[in-house]
Amino acid sequence: MIEDIIKAYNEAVYETDKDTAFEVVNGALAQGMSAEDIIFQVVIPAVEEMMSLIVKDPDANLAQHFMTAQIAAEVTEKMLLLFKFPPEIIGRVVIGTAAGDLHSLGKRIVMGCLKALMVEVIDLGVNVTAEKFVDAAVAHDAQVIGISAMMVHTAMGEHGCAEVRKLLKERGLEDKIKVIVGGAPYRYDAELYKNVGADTWANDGVSAGKVIVDLIKEVKSHVTA
Amino acid sequence: MSPLEILNATIAGQPTPRIPIFCNLLDQGARELGLPLKMYYSKGEYVAAGQLKLQKKYGYDNVWSLFYVGKEAELLGCNEILYADNGSPNVADFVIKNYDDIAKLEIPDDITAHPAWQETANCLKILREEVGNTHPICAYLTASTTMPALLMGMDKWMELLMGKDTDVRDELLRKCSLFFEKEVAAYRAAGANVLVYSTPFGSTSFVGMKRFQEFSLPWMQRDLAAGGVNNIVYYCGMAPFNNVITQIQETLCIGSYYISPMSDLAEAKAIIGKTALTCGVIEDIKLIHWSPTQTREEVKRLCEIGKVGGHFLFGTGVMPLQIPEENIVAMLDAAFEYGRF
Repeated sequence: MIEDIIKAYNEAVYETDKDTAFEVVNGALAQGMSAEDIIFQVVIPAVEEMMSLIVKDPDANLAQHFMTAQIAAEVTEKMLLLFKFPPEIIGRVVIGTAAGDLHSLGKRIVMGCLKALMVEVIDLGVNVTAEKFVDAAVAHDAQVIGISAMMVHTAMGEHGCAEVRKLLKERGLEDKIKVIVGGAPYRYDAELYKNVGADTWANDGVSAGKVIVDLIKEVKSHVTA
Repeated sequence: MSPLEILNATIAGQPTPRIPIFCNLLDQGARELGLPLKMYYSKGEYVAAGQLKLQKKYGYDNVWSLFYVGKEAELLGCNEILYADNGSPNVADFVIKNYDDIAKLEIPDDITAHPAWQETANCLKILREEVGNTHPICAYLTASTTMPALLMGMDKWMELLMGKDTDVRDELLRKCSLFFEKEVAAYRAAGANVLVYSTPFGSTSFVGMKRFQEFSLPWMQRDLAAGGVNNIVYYCGMAPFNNVITQIQETLCIGSYYISPMSDLAEAKAIIGKTALTCGVIEDIKLIHWSPTQTREEVKRLCEIGKVGGHFLFGTGVMPLQIPEENIVAMLDAAFEYGRF
């Protein structure tokens, strides 16, 4: 039964068909599957499957990225209400677009995926100053700062990631908070993330989910050690 | 031959001494005039002066009547633009904040009477008088399927596009298509003769093939039905579209294709052949850190692939301000050298 549910759900996500994805989930609930199992055995594996498909499939498109995140976030939201106990959160991320940048689509895709991956996301919105990123990360005890930038000048500018790095260094937070960047300029220049002082980058919003989870684990293992 | 004659002869498949060479410098005009970007974009005469100065300085073929992409949203009611010191302005106030605003959205009967058009008109008048007989004048026009991103933000547009409210979506698209129709007519009348049709949803990098065929293609047909495709350039905002060129040619009959730098140019040229103009585009973000030698090598590669058999133009994306001048010079020197027949 579970294999059929996973297959039907994965197909719906790949086809960007939200209605069918919800029909599959509702059907699974009606058959007695728990909300916890739906999240951990269906939704999270589906996000991971999409991450690997998007990397391999040259025809993967923005609509698929967007709907993967939308469906994952909405199903997760619905299932969380049915959980017997609150789920264990992997970690926390503060996310926003770089100073001067008002493009919020990439951020929204990342947030949807992270929600399904049990990462708590603090959305700082658009046009976020470096100071606000760092202050919010400290206030929320976040392991990761995610900065989205769709334009060259906001990706490379002195008030974006470069200033976040400077502040983390000044405040001695570099081991406790890691920085990930994403957005079009990084895709055209795979080395750019290093030049602006980020720890890593992600090629697309869906893949960013996995990269962020890995960063959280890295910070937590460092803190534990 | 003048640059305009070279372009027209290339499109017609007639002999030319070299390929047409387009370079899209916008924000750089402010630097040439020593003005802050906000002041530069406040007057059509400044933008025209910047364009003419840049063209003269570097010697490439085209000039632009484009200020910044959000200018189109101003014609539909946007009244707040976020300026930066070192990059393109952004739309800061979305005209459509909720779906009710779609019903209220009005397309002006005559967009040339709108105050936001006046500076564009002033710019075009100067460009037409100064170089209209000798150089191509470019205009940037956003397709109906992309215009909503400027009016409501890309994520809200994706939500509407992929959701169930198809009546609301189609009402917005009808209005955006009508706006396109009026805008393209206004630009043609004002003297623009290279009309860059910005249609990212015309790439399967944005939507899958099924949605491209059932959604994007019909709306593009509608956009172009009234005004025709004369001087239209198919441009997907640097997204690849080689896999749909044949469908676009068969359905829309567009005569010029601005190929993504992420695509295989040889493949695009093989598909298009002599039926239309292939524009080979350099990945200009890389020019920020490339050496002049690397820049030259890439231009050489593009020209060697593209110029065989003619029907080829060398072009750039919207060149970021951060590109060093030596790389602009190296790129154009190489284009003139390797683009020679």
